[in-house]
Amino acid sequence: MGDIRQSLLPRDVLSAAKELLYHLDIYICNLVQSGRQPPQVDTKTLELVEEFILHSPKDRNIQPRRMSALQELQLLEIMCSCFQEQSRDAVRQLMFSALFSLQGNQADESRMALLSKLVSMAVAVGRVPILECAATWLQRTHRVYCVRLARVLVDDYCSLVPGSVSTLQNIHSSSPRFCCQFITAVTTLYDLTTEDLTPPLELLQMIVSWLQDDPHLVLVTLLNTQLSGSQPISSLDLTPLGGLVRWCVKAPLAYRRDKKQVLTNGTAESEMEAGPLFSTLHLSVLQVLMLLPNILNEKGLFGRLALLQPETLATLTSDLSRLLDRADKHAHAGPASSHALSQLVLDRLAQALQVALANGALLCSREDLRAICSRLPHNNLLQLVMSGPVMYYDNIHTTPLMAFSPHSGHSPIASHPTHQPLASHPSPHPQYPAQPYLSTMPFPYRPNH
Amino acid sequence: MSVVFDGNPPKAMQTSHTHTPQNALSAQELSQEIKSFISGVDAVQGRKLSVREHARCAVRLLRSVPACRGAVLEHLRGVYDEHVSAFLHRLETEGDGSAGVSSNLEDIIQEVHGVLSEFIRLNPRAWAPLVSAWAVDLLGQLSSKHAGRRAAPHSSSLNELLQLWMSCAATRSLMEAYSQCLAAMLAWCPDACVDALLDTSVQHSPHFDWVVAHIGSAFPGTIISRVLACGLKDFCSHGSKDPLLGPAGGGAGDKGSRVPKIGSVVGILGHLAAHHSDSIRKELLRMFQESLSPSGPLSPSSSGSSWESSPQLRRSAVPFLLQLAALSPTLLGAVSAELVELLRPPVLLQLQALLLGLPREELENMLGLAVHLISQSPTGGARVLRFLADTATPASVIISGPTPSPLDGIREACDRLLQMLLLHLHKLVYNRTDGTEGTGPSHHSASSAQPQRVIPFLEELQAHVGELCAETLRLERKRHLWLHQLLCLLSVYGGPSVATEALCQLLTQARNPEELALAWQLHTPLSACLPGLIPAAVGRCVAQVHTHTLGPRQLRQLLLNLAAAVQSQDEERRGAGPAARASMAIQVGGAVSGHLHDFCPLLLHGDPAVSHAAARLLSASPLPRRAAAPAHLLQLCRAAVAHFFVALRRRGESGSGRDGGQASEAVGCSALLLARLAAYSSLALKAVLQQLVEGALHKGNAELFGGRIADMAGDTPLSPSLTPDLGASLLDTNCRFGTAVNFSGSVWSVFHAGVIGKGLKVRAAKPPHDPAAVIQNVQTLLAVTVQCCSSSSLNGGANGSQRHPTSDPDEPPPPINAEAAKVVAMTLVENICPDVANGELSWPPEEHARTTVERDIHIRRCFEAHPVLFPLLQVVAAGRPALCYCSAVLRGLLATLLAHWEASREALATDSPWHLQASCLLVSCMGEGQLLPPVLGNVHEAFPYLTPFEVRLLLLALWEYVRGNGPMPQKFVFSPDKGLFCRDFSRDGDVARYVAPIHSVLHKNIDRLGHLCWRFQL
Repeated sequence: MGDIRQSLLPRDVLSAAKELLYHLDIYICNLVQSGRQPPQVDTKTLELVEEFILHSPKDRNIQPRRMSALQELQLLEIMCSCFQEQSRDAVRQLMFSALFSLQGNQADESRMALLSKLVSMAVAVGRVPILECAATWLQRTHRVYCVRLARVLVDDYCSLVPGSVSTLQNIHSSSPRFCCQFITAVTTLYDLTTEDLTPPLELLQMIVSWLQDDPHLVLVTLLNTQLSGSQPISSLDLTPLGGLVRWCVKAPLAYRRDKKQVLTNGTAESEMEAGPLFSTLHLSVLQVLMLLPNILNEKGLFGRLALLQPETLATLTSDLSRLLDRADKHAHAGPASSHALSQLVLDRLAQALQVALANGALLCSREDLRAICSRLPHNNLLQLVMSGPVMYYDNIHTTPLMAFSPHSGHSPIASHPTHQPLASHPSPHPQYPAQPYLSTMPFPYRPNH
Repeated sequence: MSVVFDGNPPKAMQTSHTHTPQNALSAQELSQEIKSFISGVDAVQGRKLSVREHARCAVRLLRSVPACRGAVLEHLRGVYDEHVSAFLHRLETEGDGSAGVSSNLEDIIQEVHGVLSEFIRLNPRAWAPLVSAWAVDLLGQLSSKHAGRRAAPHSSSLNELLQLWMSCAATRSLMEAYSQCLAAMLAWCPDACVDALLDTSVQHSPHFDWVVAHIGSAFPGTIISRVLACGLKDFCSHGSKDPLLGPAGGGAGDKGSRVPKIGSVVGILGHLAAHHSDSIRKELLRMFQESLSPSGPLSPSSSGSSWESSPQLRRSAVPFLLQLAALSPTLLGAVSAELVELLRPPVLLQLQALLLGLPREELENMLGLAVHLISQSPTGGARVLRFLADTATPASVIISGPTPSPLDGIREACDRLLQMLLLHLHKLVYNRTDGTEGTGPSHHSASSAQPQRVIPFLEELQAHVGELCAETLRLERKRHLWLHQLLCLLSVYGGPSVATEALCQLLTQARNPEELALAWQLHTPLSACLPGLIPAAVGRCVAQVHTHTLGPRQLRQLLLNLAAAVQSQDEERRGAGPAARASMAIQVGGAVSGHLHDFCPLLLHGDPAVSHAAARLLSASPLPRRAAAPAHLLQLCRAAVAHFFVALRRRGESGSGRDGGQASEAVGCSALLLARLAAYSSLALKAVLQQLVEGALHKGNAELFGGRIADMAGDTPLSPSLTPDLGASLLDTNCRFGTAVNFSGSVWSVFHAGVIGKGLKVRAAKPPHDPAAVIQNVQTLLAVTVQCCSSSSLNGGANGSQRHPTSDPDEPPPPINAEAAKVVAMTLVENICPDVANGELSWPPEEHARTTVERDIHIRRCFEAHPVLFPLLQVVAAGRPALCYCSAVLRGLLATLLAHWEASREALATDSPWHLQASCLLVSCMGEGQLLPPVLGNVHEAFPYLTPFEVRLLLLALWEYVRGNGPMPQKFVFSPDKGLFCRDFSRDGDVARYVAPIHSVLHKNIDRLGHLCWRFQL
């Protein structure tokens, strides 16, 4: 494959890229057909991609060639049809990863730019294969880059071109996998810490309507994925549930902050509409959590797979306590409404915790929970959740899972002698890789703009 | 795993935005559109798209496929370009019906503009940066690409350019879009869009100016501050990079990398300066102030810009402003005037704190730059200078005003700055006329041919020479040294006019010798390159005098200064001293001597101090070498004499205090002046003497010398206010008598003693003058007269070189010049009795005196009224043979005396004291004047012992002698050994027969007159 470089050099930018794509297609077909496992694209080819498609400077001395926006559009169009016409999934995936897997070199920037445009265009013209490939890409790539891709799509469809959000909405039907990964990325991106990181209303509406239509959507990735130990580190969460819980819980406070700023402009539109939307979203999230036991049991993962990580929760609660403190301080305007807001926040948190605990999405002891929520202000419901007995809704599942309950050993609760037997079980931890996808590594959530 | 895309159009439109039909395209359609757009061929029908359709397609994509926007905008560039081409083409082929193509595109441009502006309106945050960058870039590209077209005006005519491009739909729409973006972006990231503007402006330099100008005038406030902020950032990032090049200062490489952005900042501000210079100035000053104000909560007005928050940027602000000012005289002019006002001590402290952090080389550069700027600043130079001098003046000197003295560090910095400024100016001034050094700047044609470099700072200061001089003369420690140096530079720079002005100011304003010395210090270096400076300066002073611009005090000071200058000449001549000063004193003397007549009116100035000063100057100054114009000379003489009398009067009035001392000094000056004038030429001598005598006899002055005007009442009617009206009318009287026509002195006059029938005329009673003062005055007058008379004989030459007036008292006084004495004599005659002037010198027989009684009485009254006449006669007598010319007066007086003694019934001559005294004086005068031989001349010694009749006898004998031996000047011969004219009485007839009556009287009174007998031996 490396020998075609000389023939590519004299070509103009666009035709060289086209020709390389053509050769790449053939090369990968051959590779797949050869049946070597795992099919691996060699580095020479990757370098060619970088040089002729991504135009990263191979040599310091040579001025990198640039494509004009028009040529780039043509290239994208060609890529779209290329992926569309390739019937074999494996070839497509290989090709996609040959083009767009991050290599950790300086070509990554242009790779990301091109990928973003390609995906954005694929959304516009409904190229499902590309979206599928992109979904896989989103599963395998470090979340920093996933978040960047999501950001581009949100910018393109929710803010740049008015009225185009409906196009984006279609991905729900065209590629649920991509849609699910998109939601995960978006919830990771918008953590409601600043105004900039508050989801646009259009996006929110879209996600709410998706979940209302089909609560299973957020679990598509979980359903489709073979859980093996080979998940890459720092990739996105398996489900957007953590992010969605964060949204719903923090929203009243975040949007309240918005309101203050917005009021000076005379419009409080977002605040008006966001409240009910988040209520709906919260309900949807709780419903999804309720779906979990069945699915997890089918996969045999109930009690072994923590979809909500305690660490995430801890971050959330500390954020909350900070926000609530601040809200109290600034509550000179209306302490009553401020109080109501904080109670809403805590109610939602308590509900989410309770439902997650009960449905096996959150695997931790009450003790841990108390520690996590210790700094929050008082809330009756939360108090109940923290102190109440472990109440499993479905007694059928109770018995087999008791053996795997990770917290039973840690938290012998003296006031509940009925659970005393649980304490006798040995700790299950060494036997189960309880949170295989969890990364406790701190990482910069925000793409660096 | 995958769900097949069903291609359904979106069902739910939950957004509140309106949607155009284009948005409703299905995915397939969109894909078709993209294909069409890329290939330029209709994907369905397979035909080529027109430009218009292609553009429509692009707009549709822009609305629906976000990923295409880059490509679409790029495509639209071509559309815009095409439109501009068509537009210009139509302009060039004016009148052709080819409007179709462009009008075709115009609506598409409208459409694009509509879409873009809708996007910007809906989501400025996302679109404004994108569109503004695109629009600016495209504008730059369009305007430089089409700059060479025939229809496009030259890039220098900004207004035409603006008009052209704004009438073109494409560029106007771009401009509007950009304005919209800018308006939107100003709220949150103004730097970015101005950065783009600046970059483009640099790239398409002259052709893009119209855009900047338009934008700038649309958003003056923000553009100005943004442009400045951008420039500052750029400057800072460059500046922080090249401290390595720092020592090189303005090294070429260093400059090359820095100039572009700051250059365009300067260019843009230069454009805006025409209409918004005020805001530019405010902005610059604000930048300066805020760079200094300590970081912390800033004023809300500055929230828009962010540079204040970075300490590094703040530190660079001052160098940046300096650099900016260095590049643009307009900006420099805008700021320089007001900047100084801001530099109050607290600000200076902040500035110092700020600059302390900078490396040494950079500080040096800044200092050099500041010096350069000051020397180039066209306005406010005086204020800058005052500020620098004020600040740099050592703290121990009391600074006027309530401002506390700044710290030593600041003071030293200012000191240094000032010195560097002076050095810099020195270089500029003296290198200005390179190549003509040999001929010197005074060589007019050479220096005017040479393009002279203008130094605005000095240009402006030329108007402030007066203030500078005043400041300099305060002699505050270092300050006057700086200012003096500056004055010197200014004079060299400004040439003769400024130098003259400066010198003139110094001469006018100096108040003591130390201050006056500054004038000479200024002159010394200048004399080399500016010849004729002193005459010009003196001329200018004279002009000041003429225009009455100076108050009495200043006038006096000026005159005294000039006098001091001239006098130093005399001192130098006698003692040792710097030759330069002596030569200068000579020059001043020469110059003043040329303007004597200009100064002489000042002798009669109402303010005594001024007239005194004038007298001092005139008495000190040499007289002109060449013969002065008679008119001037006479004027001078008149004024000098008048001043003399004024001075005498003042001496009398002022008493003996400090004023008295001054007054007598004034008299001395005046006397000296008269003496010198008299010595100058015979004309002057005559004039002076004549004036002196006339003045002494003038009724106004008479009382100074013990005169009594009232005694001359017959000739001088009293003012009506003094005399009670007696109801006398000349007409009535004449009618009554019918005969009399009054010819004074010849026929009996009606009124000489009063109106007949009404008794004697009332004497106006005036308080008699203090006798001591009278004596002093007479003495002074005589001294002056004698000096005038005597000096003329020896120093008659008009060379102006004088003996010193205070000559050795041991020397015998020089003889009185005959000519001078003759002048006095003639004047006396004319004043005492004009009738007899030029009359017969020889005497008639005594009986004939009867015919001249009236005249003789007049003469006697005159002598009675003016005691000073006798001393004057004595002077005349000393200058033989001048007394001859007084013969008529002497005869008249003698006749009245004879009549008196004849009529007198007193026992002794001493009973009529005045007549006795008059007789004695008369005889002694005639004896001195050698009208009488010594024997006869001594008779007056006997008078006091005689009876009136005997006196008459003796006087009659004298008469007889004179009648027999007429008082003729030709009887005198010059005796060189004595230096005098002498009369040889031996040639006259025998004296003996005239002596007989004397001897008879002696015999008769031998008991009392024995001791006198020897006096009358023949």
